Amino acid sequence: MDALVFYISGILMVASALLVVTRKNPVYSAILLVVFFLLTSLNFLVLRSPFLAVIQVLVYGGAIMVLFVFVLMLLNLTEEELDEKVEPGRKLLAGAGSVLLFVLLAWAINSSERIQAAGDTDLTGPVKESVARAGETREIGEALFSEHILPFEFTSILIFIAIIGAIYLTKTRRADERQATEPAVEQPEESA
Amino acid sequence: MTLSLDLCLYLCAAVFSIGVYGVLSRQNIIVILMSLELMLNGVNLAIISFGRYFITPEGSALSGTGASSSQIFVIIVLAIAAAEAAVGLAILLAVYRRWRSARIGDMRLLKG
Repeated sequence: MDALVFYISGILMVASALLVVTRKNPVYSAILLVVFFLLTSLNFLVLRSPFLAVIQVLVYGGAIMVLFVFVLMLLNLTEEELDEKVEPGRKLLAGAGSVLLFVLLAWAINSSERIQAAGDTDLTGPVKESVARAGETREIGEALFSEHILPFEFTSILIFIAIIGAIYLTKTRRADERQATEPAVEQPEESA
Repeated sequence: MTLSLDLCLYLCAAVFSIGVYGVLSRQNIIVILMSLELMLNGVNLAIISFGRYFITPEGSALSGTGASSSQIFVIIVLAIAAAEAAVGLAILLAVYRRWRSARIGDMRLLKG
């Protein structure tokens, strides 16, 4: 039963991912990407990771997608600006490249001894009581704040830097400030 | 009906390849950033699959809190994905304000 859920949502994941990269209007892409994230969180549930399934919906489906849709709204691209003017040769080349990448990855999976040693081990099968809760909040919290405390702290520094970077990049400078920092670019006639 | 490890990995490889196709073929920067999120999700699913595989019916192949290690990995990838999306979209806004274009082909200031 669990495996069937995984198969169906896996097929839908590939379909929605394909639609995300092929739709011309980015709003459709954004909505289909939310569908993709929800299906991924379903697969996380099947693979015994309930905490990450919830986080996937909250962070990806909620926070990151709101960011994307917000920027889409802010830019408000016109029909003409959405026209990508991609020559068909480039699309063909990209398609060939990504199919080649998939074939290479499939070949690597197929020829890896350790993965093939897994054989038909059922990932939806029963597990022992002592590790059955490995994907739950309590276990993750204990692991995160004991063994993995250093990467966790570094992540907070990374996010702090990202916030500063995002604010700095999107800051609009006042006119007089702009003249002081970029005179040659903004007013070439006056400086000449 | 059973679910084997290599089947999960084929799905991850497919999602990752589709993301690569999006990055290579699209011109709209927003869609390129979305394709990057697709690629990161493919990798996340692969990590989760491996983590689930190492939890065998006899217990975990990893000692101590190792059974949760894959989850920690994914949490850190997620944090990096969020930071990447924020900075990427901020760069896009700055670029759009300067050149009035969200097309990646128009950004050729450093092109030789």
